[in-house]
Amino acid sequence: MAMRNDRLLEVWNDTVDGHHLIGSLLIGGAVSLGTFQAAEWLLGMFISDPRMARTYAMLFGIIGCVVGGAICAYLFRPKREVVEDTVDTENLQGVLAALYADYGSRGGVEDLPEAVRSELRELELEEAFLVYERDHAQGDAVALTEHDLGRAGREGVKS
Amino acid sequence: MMDALLAQLPVALGMGIIGAVVFSAIGLISGSDETTTIAPLTLLVVLIGVPPAGVYTFFLAGAVSKHMTHAVPTALLGIPGDTMATPMMREANYLRQLGVPHIALRKMISGGVIAALIAVPVTVVFALVLAPFGGFVQHSAPYLFLIAALAIAYFSPGRWAAVLALGPFVLVIVALQTLTAAHGVKLGVSYFLGIAIGPLISDLFLVLSPAERARRKRDRPARFSLAPDVKRWRGYFPNPLKVLDSRQTGWTIGTAVVSSLTFVFSPVAMTVIMGEVVSSRIRHVYHRLTTTLAVRNGVTESTYIAEALIPLMAFGLPLSPVAAGPAAPLFNAPPRFTVDSASGQVNNLHNLLGTWEFLVYGLLAVVLALLIAYPFSMNYARRAASFVSRNISHEAIIGTFVGLILVIGLWEGGLLGLLVVVTVGLVGGFLSRLLGFNIGVQFMGFYIAVLTVPALTALL
Repeated sequence: MAMRNDRLLEVWNDTVDGHHLIGSLLIGGAVSLGTFQAAEWLLGMFISDPRMARTYAMLFGIIGCVVGGAICAYLFRPKREVVEDTVDTENLQGVLAALYADYGSRGGVEDLPEAVRSELRELELEEAFLVYERDHAQGDAVALTEHDLGRAGREGVKS
Repeated sequence: MMDALLAQLPVALGMGIIGAVVFSAIGLISGSDETTTIAPLTLLVVLIGVPPAGVYTFFLAGAVSKHMTHAVPTALLGIPGDTMATPMMREANYLRQLGVPHIALRKMISGGVIAALIAVPVTVVFALVLAPFGGFVQHSAPYLFLIAALAIAYFSPGRWAAVLALGPFVLVIVALQTLTAAHGVKLGVSYFLGIAIGPLISDLFLVLSPAERARRKRDRPARFSLAPDVKRWRGYFPNPLKVLDSRQTGWTIGTAVVSSLTFVFSPVAMTVIMGEVVSSRIRHVYHRLTTTLAVRNGVTESTYIAEALIPLMAFGLPLSPVAAGPAAPLFNAPPRFTVDSASGQVNNLHNLLGTWEFLVYGLLAVVLALLIAYPFSMNYARRAASFVSRNISHEAIIGTFVGLILVIGLWEGGLLGLLVVVTVGLVGGFLSRLLGFNIGVQFMGFYIAVLTVPALTALL
């Protein structure tokens, strides 16, 4: 079923389509309750202790919840745009600026234990850290320009 | 003793595997809170009559697995996997921006593995140390719960507002219990479910109201960027000690031990504090990011294990935020497990399992979680995150939970039970949203209503 942007709402920390939400509530409710009631009626014919029959019926009811959820997942697509991210490494120095401003750093890459340094090398980040530390040597890490902070700075704050 | 252990072993093994598989999957769904998922499913396992060892391994393997796979959406999608993952968002986001989200993921999960293994024996030893005070604690339970509730309320986001709101909230619970008792209905689970799922119930009411609905309009779908992932080891099963360097392993072990002892504090607060303590001691900023992530996720494991097991083993009373929340059905799941209000008498896993069983099955549960969740999330993180965010709509998740409310409410108390779930959820959800009177405080409020209030009225 197609979603419409003019019906989008934020509910329980994610985006839903209002009509799809109503559909899900009806389907989820009907399937779970239907399974529960049917199971109680059927099990009641085989299990003599009605309390046990009811507890097992509840188990079927919970399975019904999952089945209802699966039907909804099939009918209603997620309202999420998932972008396959290729990280733009051009702004790496900007990210580092935000990072150093946020945390501060004592000592440079040269002072790191060899294990950590080789990890940075494998990730191809060692060079970027070295460049940043060379350009911002001797404690002027705080003197950031607006340009340095850029997009990364704002994202760092947002997170 | 060996015979007893062996007799329950198949059940413990089977339920542990089910718990690990189910909660590894649930952990991938971002925002799937622990209390709303672990509590109802554990309750179900208790009520269908699974033997004690199976209940215990199901819960523990589930909690440990969930706190591993919750790192997947946190690192790769930039949205917290659950409540416990929120303190790791800042560091994870920086590593994502540096183009190495898979490092964030692996440091987190490997920290979790090491901490979970350490936490079980430390917790069992500490519970043995505290056990001699068990009689005293059970005897004074009604008052201890009052003190614990006030403390937990004060340290919640609501501070004094939460402390003062305890009064009216407890009154609502007592009133509802009196009402249902007049119709011969006694409810327990319905309250837990209402509290746990309150934020969803109150949100559904809110979007029904036109004014609030206008405020919640969105003009386009939520946008997520899924980061790339690079595999850097051979074979299926990575070695956590090679993913972390020696200092990271050391800090993870140290903080796991400390956070196993501080079982009465909020698990999120412990995660934040332990991370800060370690972070301030690491010199280089990159090393600081990765170490903090390993330590924090380690603490999410150890603090959960300790907060559930210590009160359970030593006292049998849910005297910690985790024990009162996600682990609640291990203590109180009437009619099978009960905590008697007047005498403080308990009948739950505390009596049904011995020390050795807690230790052996605890380690079994952790090992099962490691064997299932660890390689799964290390190898398939990206595909799993992509599948969940593209195929499981939020409507489907809401539909599932609404089904759960209907089934559990009607099962426990018919129409009256259902109304109680909705009432408690609506009141609790609003109190949590508006006052910061969060779920942990609400659970303590419930225990004041069932333990402290009867004890006090008996005195009068």
